[in-house]
Amino acid sequence: MSDAAANTQVPVTVLTGYLGAGKTTLLNRILSERHGRKYAVVINEFGELGVDNDLVVDSDEEVFEMNNGCVCCTVRGDLIRIVGGLMKRRDKFDGIIVETTGLANPAPVAQTFFVDETVRERTRLDAIVTVVDAKHLPQRLTDSAEAAEQIGFADVIVLNKTDLVSPEELAEVERRIREVNPFATIHHAVRGNVPIGEVLDQGAFDLTRVLAHTPDFLTDDAHEHNEEVRSVSFEVSRPIDPEKFNAWIGALLAQQGQDLLRTKGILAYEGEDRRFAFQAVHMMADGDFVGPWRADEPRRSRLVFIGRNLNRPALRRGFEACQVAA
Amino acid sequence: MSTAAADHLLDTRGIRTELGAFVVAAAFDRGGTAAFALGDGTVRLLAGDAWQSVAAHDGAALAFAADVLADGFLAGGDDGRLVRVARDGGVTEIAAFGMKWVEHVASFADGKTQLRACAVGRQVHLFDAAGARLKTLAHPSTVTGLVFDARGKRVVASHYNGTSLWFVASKSDNPRVLEWKGSHTAVAISPDGDAVVTAMQEKALHGWRLSDGQHMRMSGYPGKTQALSFTRSGKWLASSGAEAIVLWPFGGSGPTGKAPMELAGADGILCTTLACHPQHEAVAAGFSDGLVILADIGTQRILPVAGTGRGPVSALAWSADGTRLALGSETGFAAVVDFSRR
Repeated sequence: MSDAAANTQVPVTVLTGYLGAGKTTLLNRILSERHGRKYAVVINEFGELGVDNDLVVDSDEEVFEMNNGCVCCTVRGDLIRIVGGLMKRRDKFDGIIVETTGLANPAPVAQTFFVDETVRERTRLDAIVTVVDAKHLPQRLTDSAEAAEQIGFADVIVLNKTDLVSPEELAEVERRIREVNPFATIHHAVRGNVPIGEVLDQGAFDLTRVLAHTPDFLTDDAHEHNEEVRSVSFEVSRPIDPEKFNAWIGALLAQQGQDLLRTKGILAYEGEDRRFAFQAVHMMADGDFVGPWRADEPRRSRLVFIGRNLNRPALRRGFEACQVAA
Repeated sequence: MSTAAADHLLDTRGIRTELGAFVVAAAFDRGGTAAFALGDGTVRLLAGDAWQSVAAHDGAALAFAADVLADGFLAGGDDGRLVRVARDGGVTEIAAFGMKWVEHVASFADGKTQLRACAVGRQVHLFDAAGARLKTLAHPSTVTGLVFDARGKRVVASHYNGTSLWFVASKSDNPRVLEWKGSHTAVAISPDGDAVVTAMQEKALHGWRLSDGQHMRMSGYPGKTQALSFTRSGKWLASSGAEAIVLWPFGGSGPTGKAPMELAGADGILCTTLACHPQHEAVAAGFSDGLVILADIGTQRILPVAGTGRGPVSALAWSADGTRLALGSETGFAAVVDFSRR
């Protein structure tokens, strides 16, 4: 996509998190801050706490399954409609914030941005921001699958209510988050006091920046058959053969897409001076060139998986086999 | 074709203007006045060659149609209001629905029946000509399309997993539900009332024949279909969403297993909206590059109405007598072209 097209696309921030984690407090904080920007806000829990904004859309989360033979390809039809409606007064706001209900799985929201052409043309998913409660998160992670999924999907995590826990508890909560998703940016907060610049306009779904800070970790190749949400990342140094990569990742997503929450990568294609950004949500994949490699930058390809039942050795061998012959 | 040649009808028989906001819909009232509903919440009325701007909604207008009375329009907006906009510019609120958007409106009027309808979330509300609410019809998910049949006996609503047909005079209020899994995003009913067709998220159309319950599947669109329009005779269903006007044959045994007729094909340029002529077997169509044409289905001849370069065409409407065509674009261009014999 050209830079011009990217500039006219409205950034969309998805705000997820359990009921009581502080989503609405954060939202009101964002909206009341004097930043000179206007946001259209799509909410689902109107009444829990009022949202003070000119442009609030009350929506029912209406998820449907695409008739494309892919069982996990669920989409938010209400969002498609709302984005279409909002585009009729595009000049009245700078961005869209979508709040999801507490127990919502973020996948249908994210997949909507892959599936619908109008939504894709006119908006870009800026970041999935998950608000978690420092005090109650450990319990949530133990008793529900959705809590781990909301963390697994996140580009940005607001770790809220840090004043209610001890430094040791805070460190433990952060460790639990990192166990699930080592790639998200974590911000500590009390009553949602995160500067707007740390949450909105992150360009986080455009992964260049995220992957540039991928932590080095975990070299053991133990294959855990693990129902917990975990992540793995790989880096290879020889250029990638696009045909091999597409064949491998296509088959992998088709077979294991249900277990893979997020897949993100920056790839150095052979004979190409631009970086290729790849991303997927479950089986829905997308990719585009995102600007040239810097002259001083090693052209190494990185790929990250967040999901369940990740077979590290198999994934590593698969990715390594996508390189051009040495 | 040069733009000068394509603009010949617009130049010689058109009244045009720049309205400065997204043209959401165009309509003629039952008395023949043209008007446009815009993304800035205004309705622009055209009387002779004078334009009048009426503030109808605080937000965007989302739906627009002729009102049941001869001299005015029905408008729905994202401010949750259903209003009547009179030809003289007066605005009367018929109903207000708070935070919910009024996304679709429809009306029916003949000698003895006058009905107004609007869709708000999962509900369809019916009103009489005096503005009294007659009934509220509930659906399993948000209503995405709303239309009366040609006799005003039934109102049809599309939603997730199918459509619901309601007899408006029924005491029991149980709809006939036509099921097909998926997200249906627009609906049309044939002039004889026997075929209901929806546009689907998966870039296909789905149809039901009411007399025998048969399903019809029409696919192959590169884009999503937003406009569905039956010709006057009901022999053809015109649809947007392809690089041409796609016409499915509904005469005889129906479209199943047949190839559609394609008119006014253009490489890489999608048909964005269309409207069948109310009298003849012809269809007006607008494209993503701004081109508006009139296609005669019998002869397959194409008559250019307005050239390219004025923004994707977002609104087309015929006057009831078929002499005038109103057109509008996403970037605020609007015109009314007169086709009457001179």
